[in-house]
Amino acid sequence: MANMSLKNVLRPGFVGRTFKSGYRFQRYWDTPMATAFFCGETGAGLFLTSMLLNFMPGIILGLLITGVGKTFFHLTHMGVPRKSWRAMLRPDRSWISRGLWGIIFFVGFGVVHVFGQLFGMVPDAFVMPVYWLAMAGAMMVVVYQGFAMSHSTAIALWSTGLMPVSSMLYGLLAGTSLVLALNAFGFPVAGESQLTMVGTVQTILVAAVLLTILSLLHGAKHGSKGAQQSYELLTKDFLSRPFLYGVIGIGTVLPLVILMFAPVNFITTLAAAGSIMFGFCLFRVLIFKAGVLDPILTPADIFGR
Amino acid sequence: MTSYGMVFDVKRCIGCNACTVACKQENSLPDGVFFTRTLSAETGEYPNVSRTYLPTICNHCEDAPCEKVCPSGATYTRDDGIVMVDGAKCIGCGSCAVACPYDMRTQIEETQIKGGLFGDGNLTPFEEQGYSRFECGTFTKCDFCSERVDAGKDPACVATCPTDARIFGDLDNPDSKVSKLIRDRKGQQPLAEKNTRPKVYYID
Repeated sequence: MANMSLKNVLRPGFVGRTFKSGYRFQRYWDTPMATAFFCGETGAGLFLTSMLLNFMPGIILGLLITGVGKTFFHLTHMGVPRKSWRAMLRPDRSWISRGLWGIIFFVGFGVVHVFGQLFGMVPDAFVMPVYWLAMAGAMMVVVYQGFAMSHSTAIALWSTGLMPVSSMLYGLLAGTSLVLALNAFGFPVAGESQLTMVGTVQTILVAAVLLTILSLLHGAKHGSKGAQQSYELLTKDFLSRPFLYGVIGIGTVLPLVILMFAPVNFITTLAAAGSIMFGFCLFRVLIFKAGVLDPILTPADIFGR
Repeated sequence: MTSYGMVFDVKRCIGCNACTVACKQENSLPDGVFFTRTLSAETGEYPNVSRTYLPTICNHCEDAPCEKVCPSGATYTRDDGIVMVDGAKCIGCGSCAVACPYDMRTQIEETQIKGGLFGDGNLTPFEEQGYSRFECGTFTKCDFCSERVDAGKDPACVATCPTDARIFGDLDNPDSKVSKLIRDRKGQQPLAEKNTRPKVYYID
């Protein structure tokens, strides 16, 4: 009888915090954490792009977005903010820890670089080391969040190598978009050829992001039961409208059409940048909300009958 | 080397949740916080319907994902295999909670501690004494009642189970009751495909 009772224990639905067996949403990383991730990737992406172009407004804005925005939202999320410094203690095993070191390097050396460029306060011998240490820190910030998510085998949707790829691509896409938006607002990027190159890179990145999102959905569709639930949520259930229309439609397809077919002017540049940033922010929030834990127990699987 | 683990005999569990209550008493857990839960699942179709009970608890994994992702060093494993959380070191980032495939981490929220069981802020003497061990915002979980284990006793949930559906012991000792049960009745680990090597087994 016990065998019979275990045989068909299946959990088709979500059970929340009830004492029932079934799918559960991850509920501890929510909108503040998603916003912190968004700020981190945007700031670091803008910084990296601007450093390559030696575009000082972008460098400063990138530092502010990460240094102030990301820090603020992380502290908002943290259960015990006053002890947040302890997050730097285990870089040997934790991506959160490694990321915090990345932020310290990025913001610390980034600020030194800015002061060096604006006021000549950095000795010549240290200019290049400071430049590369800030770049390395920014590179870490732009990808570590993806690694932190992909490291979680508990949530099948996140447990994929596409997470750091999406972090990197979205970060650089946000960076190029904001550089072009700043240029449109009267902070000129030196050289017409550089501007054209950034525009081309932006178009390629939008296409790459779209491809990454579709790959992510494909992987989830053919993944574990939890991943399939996430796929259903993002494509057919209550998250489908914001995801399909917001993230994919407005966030990638619309800017791709604008960038490929519309003439480059103030309006189209801002429209493309705005829709990209909107889609990126929504992507971060929805990927967190669609995180599903597999049923804690699947006796049908465990006992093989 | 000792390696503590637990076996759930699903055939014996009657879903009384005495283990859940004993755990809450032993650990002075605030309202809404559970270290162990006995889940239920309905099977079959009317009129041939039955209900199965599935006890759950922190699996004290040998390759604990919660410990690997903890950035502050708050989560650690004792020599006897019990995975612990040092509340004084926990920063409440939630990495452990999203890394645990078993959903066995809980955050202690301010409203739970300050509101008390009745939500009006008037704590009973039991609550005042018990809640002092928690810090708001930190994450916590089952520690196999480590104080009781250190004193040579079984965890509270095991001691209170009226049907002996929970069995606690040393997995490294081939002659222990848990080892024999796992060997003889083909004990299975939950979500084994996650490669966390849980030290909790289910027998049927």
